Amino acid sequence: MIAVRFRRGAPRPDLPCIVPLDAIAAAPRALAPALAAARFTGAARQVVDLPGTPRRLVVGLGTAPDALACEGAGAAAALAAGASEEVALAGAGLAAGQLAAVAAGIALGAWAFDRHRARDLPRRIRRLVVHCDSPDEAEAAFAHRAPGIGGCLLARDLVAEPANHLTTRRFAERLEALAEDGIEVTIHGRKWLERHGFGALLAVGGGAADPPRLAVLRWRGALPLPPVAFVGKGLVFDTGGISIKPATGMEAMRADMAGAAACAGAMLALARRRSPAPAVAVLAIAENATGAAAYRPGDVIRTASRRTVEVIDTDAEGRLVLADALHHAIAAFRPRAVIDLATLTGAIVTALGHHRAGIFGSDAALLASAAAAGEAVGEPLWPMPIGPTHREALDSDIADLRQCAPAGSGAWGGRFLPDACHAAAFLREFAGTTPWAHLDIAGVDSAEEAHALGPAGPTGFGARLLDRLVALRFEAEP
Amino acid sequence: MPDIAFVKPALPRSGALVLPLAEEAPLAGLAKQADEATGGAISRGLEAAKFKGRKGQATTLWAPGAGLSKVVAIGLGKAAELMATGAEAAGGATAGAIAQEREAMVAADGLAPALAASLAMGVALKSYRFDRYRTMEKEEDKPKIERVAVAVADTAKAKAAFAPLQAVADGVFLTRDLVSEPPNVLTPTDCADRCRALAKLGVEVEILGPKEMKKLGFGALLGVAQGSAQEPRMVVMKWMGAPKGKKGKPLAFIGKGVTFDTGGISIKPAGGMEDMKWDMAGAGTVIGLMAALAGRKAKADVVGIVGLVENMPSGTAQRPGDVVTSASGQTIEVINTDAEGRLVLADVIHYCIEKFDPRFMVDLATLTGAIIIALGHEHAGLFSNDDTLASRIEAAGRATGETAWRMPLGDAYDKQMKSDIADMKNVGGRPGGSITAAQFIQRFVQGRPWAHLDIAGTAWSSKDTATTPKGATAYGVRMLDRLVAEHYEG
Repeated sequence: MIAVRFRRGAPRPDLPCIVPLDAIAAAPRALAPALAAARFTGAARQVVDLPGTPRRLVVGLGTAPDALACEGAGAAAALAAGASEEVALAGAGLAAGQLAAVAAGIALGAWAFDRHRARDLPRRIRRLVVHCDSPDEAEAAFAHRAPGIGGCLLARDLVAEPANHLTTRRFAERLEALAEDGIEVTIHGRKWLERHGFGALLAVGGGAADPPRLAVLRWRGALPLPPVAFVGKGLVFDTGGISIKPATGMEAMRADMAGAAACAGAMLALARRRSPAPAVAVLAIAENATGAAAYRPGDVIRTASRRTVEVIDTDAEGRLVLADALHHAIAAFRPRAVIDLATLTGAIVTALGHHRAGIFGSDAALLASAAAAGEAVGEPLWPMPIGPTHREALDSDIADLRQCAPAGSGAWGGRFLPDACHAAAFLREFAGTTPWAHLDIAGVDSAEEAHALGPAGPTGFGARLLDRLVALRFEAEP
Repeated sequence: MPDIAFVKPALPRSGALVLPLAEEAPLAGLAKQADEATGGAISRGLEAAKFKGRKGQATTLWAPGAGLSKVVAIGLGKAAELMATGAEAAGGATAGAIAQEREAMVAADGLAPALAASLAMGVALKSYRFDRYRTMEKEEDKPKIERVAVAVADTAKAKAAFAPLQAVADGVFLTRDLVSEPPNVLTPTDCADRCRALAKLGVEVEILGPKEMKKLGFGALLGVAQGSAQEPRMVVMKWMGAPKGKKGKPLAFIGKGVTFDTGGISIKPAGGMEDMKWDMAGAGTVIGLMAALAGRKAKADVVGIVGLVENMPSGTAQRPGDVVTSASGQTIEVINTDAEGRLVLADVIHYCIEKFDPRFMVDLATLTGAIIIALGHEHAGLFSNDDTLASRIEAAGRATGETAWRMPLGDAYDKQMKSDIADMKNVGGRPGGSITAAQFIQRFVQGRPWAHLDIAGTAWSSKDTATTPKGATAYGVRMLDRLVAEHYEG
């Protein structure tokens, strides 16, 4: 994350200066003619670049400059700033909270992933100086936001990392590093998984040279309560396995661990802001590869819950690893609630596109809180159904459950299957009576173009949402 | 279809007797009389079969005595929890159990009159068959049931409760017939001609052909129709049932009626294409709904408008890349000729607004495969710019078992419809395919209260459900009839 400092006085004239405004009327007199000529209206995220000394990046806050609008303005300005190592933010006229949110937005918008560029390294924003009348107040407000930003950017960093670099082992090592922030990290390897019967995770990871891992991150918090549990799908790469995917677009499958990354990011945010709420994240890490030891369509596997599952399509592997992780999260920690995140289905992309993630679940209050948290941080959700027919589609001839409905079953020549609903119905079987929510984030984990809170690439979707959900729902004494 | 009559409870001397029984409730009334007449055979039989009256439970006792050919016990679940949908489901089970009898009596004397009427409705709905094209069916395979007597304590009340339901059932059957008809029979012209029959119920029917539509500037609808040898039609049905002094803006229901959809030049894969005969289900539903409302003399002013076309590939068919001008003046770049339903709706919706200035519009369309991928076959997708209207539709759906699931709209989705050459494209890509289709339609509603039901997953059922034999479901007729009855009459 960029370094952010808070100062009194005027910005240095040699630094590009970001000037957030809610209307042209609020503009300094010197800028007003130029802004009027550029048709600046103060609309949310509208940026006008005024060259000069200093260069000014005037950005609109919109008519309702709440925290999210301020973040959006900051991100838009950062994206427009281009090659500048240091930028200033002119905070006159903004409340401390708004200023902190604009700064947070600049941090989100300035994120970039250059680790694997060997030459022509682009200049990026590394430092931000915020100028305002009461820097202490603004700094305190920013300190409140920074943990969530840090969590989101950790998730983006992990998702961006290619699969030959972020192997299952390397992913586990990256998680172990979170111990620095006071998170207890336990990594369970293949032997432990075998001893404890994690047949689904072992089957999915069986075809790869790198073994599967189950990572458990704990934040003890302060409240004398059971933890809230996050469960994440962490497929470091998904070829589809024996049911191999088409070649086109397969490179995007390095992001198939975005659910686990978001959970890790949320844990980091909780730890950094010393949340009173106990939390645990159970992350199922595997690579779904084709190989001589790969699992096959038709296989029957025994999950950690002892329930058996008939494999129909090895590319529907996410729900299998989640079944084991959900079981472990519930059996080992008896959580107050469990929320799983996964880039689970293409069907959710067809259903909701790239602007909302789908949320499924059994507990209306939990679903409502999650949706409210998502709206607040710009990670919107939309409720989706699990009905009796979705569950019926999973009846197996040979096992307790089948993993998905076979292609070709159903109406319209079988081309249209509600696979996101089927997957959710499958997961529900492993959530039992624990209040549970499932977020299918397959459409929102990465953005093809720059989005409201960042550049093209991984969005970190989910990390800030979970952090906010905990703040909304799990930090009060019972 | 059997005759259904409500009679005073009296033990029949022959035929089948159906006993709808609540959970863990002792035999009473007619059921008890039957048990006594058979020397306790019924209670012993139910005991042996471990029949508890649970919802969905059913047990048949053959020739238990007293001249009865069989006694069928059907579980209602807990008496206190029994709702209309539960009684209908029991009626559906009854229809299945008595199909091969000539006469049957249902001992509904323990039910409130309204629930007895709902049960009778279930019998009617489940007894539907579309067998017009079966010429070689064996006699023993045909249903025999001619008369169902529903025994109730208060026959007058039950009859009064059943009369409007019967009208709605007739509307449902009309829709099922229209949707079931093969596409070589049910052409746009044929479908429009069948609408004329609604005049008998007091519906004003007006039919517009290509000339009139050309004059109205229906470039979008006519573009879809131009590849087919079948002429398009638009049918306007008016039911003006609001009492004098309570006249206001009419309610409007609009249906997509693509009597067959090959996809056009963007032709569909062959597998499953036969299903595309029911791509007129939105129109079929609106026509059945108008029959239901008129049949029960609904006290509301309602307009139903359907756009009827056939989408064919041919030398005159429209092409991907064509730009058409809709009746609203907005131009559309046709990217995919298989996204034709929205083109039809665009012009019909515009006409509806200009001509009728409606209080609200609800359109129904088998619009996207994406809605099946999103929701499956349990719910239709509901899109709306009006939360009140949407929640009323959702509630009406729950009450009738024709459920709808609200789906999102938003500017971000609308942007996917931007075209390089025209005001909009007709498709926005795979992501959020049903949502972008709804966004397209929303561009024609001029900000008026509007709801769109994407019924591609619910118009047809590949298996029997509680009150619907497999095939055309007429999804929407009962829901929207209920919507009108609950909120817009009186």
